[in-house]
Amino acid sequence: MPRLSRLAGLLPIVALVAAWQLAVSLQLYPPVLLPAPAKVADSFVRWGPTILANAGASVLRVVIGVGLAFAVAVPAGLLIGRYPALDRLTDWSIQAFRSVPPISLIPLAMLFFGIGDTPAIVLIFLSALWPLLLNTIFGVRGIERTLLKVARAARASEALVLRDIILPAALPAIFTGLRLAIGGGWLTVVTAEMIAVKSGLGYMILNAQMTFRTELIFAGIIVIGAIGLVADQSVSRLRARVCRWQEGLLAERE
Amino acid sequence: MSGGFITCAGVGKTYTGKGRPVEALQGISLACAEGEFVCLLGLSGCGKSTLLQMIAGLEQPTTGRITVAGQVLDGPSSETSIVFQDHGLFPWMTVRANVEFNMKARRVPPAARRARADDMLALTGLTAFVGSYPHELSGGMRQRVGIARALTTHPRALLMDEPFGALDAQTRGHLQAELLSIWASQRTTVLFVTHSIEEAVFLADRILVFTPRPGRLAAEVMVDMPRPRLPTSPEFAAVAKGLRAMLGSEGGSE
Ligand SMILES: Nc1ncnc2c1ncn2[C@@H]1O[C@H](COP(=O)(O)OP(=O)(O)O)[C@@H](O)[C@H]1O
Ligand SMILES: [Mg+2]
Repeated sequence: MPRLSRLAGLLPIVALVAAWQLAVSLQLYPPVLLPAPAKVADSFVRWGPTILANAGASVLRVVIGVGLAFAVAVPAGLLIGRYPALDRLTDWSIQAFRSVPPISLIPLAMLFFGIGDTPAIVLIFLSALWPLLLNTIFGVRGIERTLLKVARAARASEALVLRDIILPAALPAIFTGLRLAIGGGWLTVVTAEMIAVKSGLGYMILNAQMTFRTELIFAGIIVIGAIGLVADQSVSRLRARVCRWQEGLLAERE
Repeated sequence: MSGGFITCAGVGKTYTGKGRPVEALQGISLACAEGEFVCLLGLSGCGKSTLLQMIAGLEQPTTGRITVAGQVLDGPSSETSIVFQDHGLFPWMTVRANVEFNMKARRVPPAARRARADDMLALTGLTAFVGSYPHELSGGMRQRVGIARALTTHPRALLMDEPFGALDAQTRGHLQAELLSIWASQRTTVLFVTHSIEEAVFLADRILVFTPRPGRLAAEVMVDMPRPRLPTSPEFAAVAKGLRAMLGSEGGSE
């Protein structure tokens, strides 16, 4: 009964909602600070279009930012992992840049790109770039040496080696990087929207605070969590499909 | 030592990595006639793999010269194919894609690739497994795939590095017999590395005995017994006994 046991994952959430309801019933906080679950549920209907539009804006930014990071980091990571000279050239820089939290770049991003989509996407790009790059490099390094010998003995061209051996060997690690990248990008987008953008879930939440619509803050937080969960699950499903050939992954999913 | 299909003249190899240089092989001279089945026999660490990889063009000799089909080696030759103990199959490719890889590397057109792969899959009894992934196969089946892949390019010499070393005794026996029948039907030269005296006596026309530190050729034994050879026969035991003495008191059997 794998389906039923998966539902166990909902239990903590149900418990949290029950505790929340209890806190409301006991009036631990004034209702303007802690709205009832029913009121928040109602706000999904009332503010439905607003929530949808802002969620769409946030998701689109993450898709673009992570997509760009993927397009840069995966080829770069394959090459850096493959060629030690490139690794020596880039290693220190990568380690230095990846230690900078993307949030700390918000002021610079605003100075350079103003307010709007551009600074947000740049920040998402930066927070997605490093996990993707490092995991891709790591994936290439982990390749079994015999496989490269087979390729060399067959006198395979470098292009064939990169496409048919290095890339697939690194795929499981690339997917790990993608999960981290989407997670990091999602955190970054919400933060960036609170400061540098005038749309998106982050902006919506901040705006709701200023207008004392606490139920909308709660609704926004729930949407952020739900989208995060769905995105992560989708990537891990995609990974299980694409990397079907990997024993460990097969066992993990069933 | 000239005129062989594969020749080594004064071949030595010293690995210089981190730490002290390791002299793996010293002064190896040998010649292997076309169509011959030669076993390189020695305890582990005496440089058998090193020699085979040099003949495969995967490692450079430090001293001496290797020729294959009259050409001084300068990288992997198109006349040889190598089979590894850890099979070297690409886990993300089906059996068919694995078997076609060496041909793909040589830019054989897809239709020809397919036809040749089908032939070699049939020869090795793999037809029913074309769509399987390596992790779905038994160890013996994986080695069959490795052999099928090696044969696709019509190699004039098959270089095998303890291909059956990781298999259970029964599977190993089957594969040894199959290898002999493949060798008889394809008329290729086989250079076969093993540390098992029984395996060498069962398979070889000629056995080259190696001793360690540094790896040297200690003796050459012709095995003049009709095939199939019976490991329980007195002649078999006599040859094995002689080899055991040459390998030293440390052992020699499984
Ligand atoms: N790539 C390498 N770098 C350094 N030393 C090596 C390398 N490959 C093998 N050796 C050393 O060379 C010697 C012979 O190894 P090998 O050819 O693998 O022996 P065998 O196949 O007979 O067991 C060993 O001492 C081993 O440690
Ligand atoms: Mg070896």
